[in-house]
Amino acid sequence: MTFLALLTKELRLRLRRERTIWVVIAYIFLMGLLGWFYISRASMSNYGGYDIGQLGKQLYYLLSVVQLFLILFITPAFTATSVNGEKERQTFDLLLCSKLSAFSLVSGKLVAGLVNAFLLIAASIPLFSLVFFFGGVAPSQVLLGSLVFIITAIMVGTFGLLCSTFLARPAVSTAVTYLLSVLWVIAPVVVTYIILAVRNSNGSTQESLYVWNPVVALLSTYPDGSSFVVGSQHIPIWLTYSLISIVATIVFFFVSVYVVKPNPRLRSPRQPRTKATQPLTVS
Amino acid sequence: MTQTVTQTMVKVRNVSKRYRKVNALADFDLDVPKGAIYGLIGPNVAGKTTLLRILAALLQPSTGQVWIDSEEIHASPSVIQRKVGYMPDFFGVYPDLTSAEYLEFYAGIHGIPHKKQAQTVTDLLELVDLSAKRDALVETLSRGMKQRLCLARALVHDPEVLLLDEPASGLDPRARVELRELLRTLQGMGKTVIISSHILLELAEMCTDVAIVQGGRLVVAGNVEQVSRRLSGGRQLEIRVLDRVPEVVAALKEQPTISNIINHEDTLILADFVGDDTALHHTLVTLITRGLPVISFAPRSSGGRLEEVFMSITEGNSQS
Repeated sequence: MTFLALLTKELRLRLRRERTIWVVIAYIFLMGLLGWFYISRASMSNYGGYDIGQLGKQLYYLLSVVQLFLILFITPAFTATSVNGEKERQTFDLLLCSKLSAFSLVSGKLVAGLVNAFLLIAASIPLFSLVFFFGGVAPSQVLLGSLVFIITAIMVGTFGLLCSTFLARPAVSTAVTYLLSVLWVIAPVVVTYIILAVRNSNGSTQESLYVWNPVVALLSTYPDGSSFVVGSQHIPIWLTYSLISIVATIVFFFVSVYVVKPNPRLRSPRQPRTKATQPLTVS
Repeated sequence: MTQTVTQTMVKVRNVSKRYRKVNALADFDLDVPKGAIYGLIGPNVAGKTTLLRILAALLQPSTGQVWIDSEEIHASPSVIQRKVGYMPDFFGVYPDLTSAEYLEFYAGIHGIPHKKQAQTVTDLLELVDLSAKRDALVETLSRGMKQRLCLARALVHDPEVLLLDEPASGLDPRARVELRELLRTLQGMGKTVIISSHILLELAEMCTDVAIVQGGRLVVAGNVEQVSRRLSGGRQLEIRVLDRVPEVVAALKEQPTISNIINHEDTLILADFVGDDTALHHTLVTLITRGLPVISFAPRSSGGRLEEVFMSITEGNSQS
């Protein structure tokens, strides 16, 4: 009940903003422009002799990688100011005075933020469906790629929410979310270079750095995608990525729940050490 | 531990709140009768907001306990959600929602069943005279309308106790009158209202009881008229003389019935008087027999003097 009330309010507020519409338009425009630019270049340079299936595959690779980066950098904007935004708007105390539980507060904010991210993913489906027109991409690949998109959006969104519970200022929490998201994506590459520079390392050490990397996870959904070897088992990177991300999401979520509502009623006040001075009371 | 106090809706005992080195509240005791409009009067940083936030369970007191309708809030946290409506000293609105949607949201998070929400919202908008603005975006409302909408929000779950922090702040005279009328309506509905303000005359007009707060301490509390009479000795003397003001003041100070000389400038002297009419007569006789040039000697009613009392008290405390 309280969750639905919060979710309804959040969706009303978010979807009424002009910014929401413009983000969707810009998102689709950018994706469409990239696809159109790629197809027209490929058509011009290989006129009459191009493998159309190969074109479809490369178009899908391009669009999916771009979509992943857009999700990485747009989703935090929907959640990284959720809780501290209420504090800045001075409405947070009013939420605390209600029957809204910390769980409902965090989940309502998260779902509302993710609805915006999923709106972008859903809006891009027609563009991705063009890929099938060219062929070269299996529906299972697209489904696995969508799984990576959704899990990435949920995890990054939850991380943004966590930052908004810890940090008081919305601008700071947004910046920290972006900064740490970028570090998360590029850290394995940097660490790999450092390892290679310092010593000759075996491949498995470097490989293990990429088991929780969204770009590598997406690439692993493509045909002949990379996998992580444990003993004799080959585990696809998208699977390790998904599992680790789900665990991280759960951790971020419950830490947010714990932080968001440090209920003062749950802490026992100390008893007074001294006797109260009697005020002048008129009866 | 739960204590029962007859006809006391809010009871505060030994409550202190310390922010690092600052004592926002110190050993604060308060009893708010059921159905009262209780004014918390004090200058800025007196501790009024801290007390209201403690009563709303938004702050944990460093020491002490609070009871709402005989239930200790630590032992029964749900009592706050059920029985207390809190209106902070800021609007706290979502500008992109309509008035009805705003109230509907708060009805939802206070657990009002969905079927009853529409009726609750309609009733509240009618109560605060905003029915015509039902579908207006909150950002388009005037300050006074927003204040009334926030009051409606605090009432959304039909609480028995209303905590209003500086509700008249920034309102124009008309909006203040409307707010005052609204508070009287709420009193008629049996609500207990605790209202903080530094606009003393307003509180004196609308409150049944007052507590004067200074430096985190309760200076005086009780019925408005009684507080005023108690502090001022019931009456104030307005004495006008031709000249020799210092001699008149000195003569008044010798009188045990004069508790305080509030103001003496030019030829007008204001003095707090404690005593009956015989003592009043004796004071006048004393001044006349000493040959002091009194041209007017008029005891004033204590009504409407709360501000002066407040000023004298807080001035005295700040000097001490």
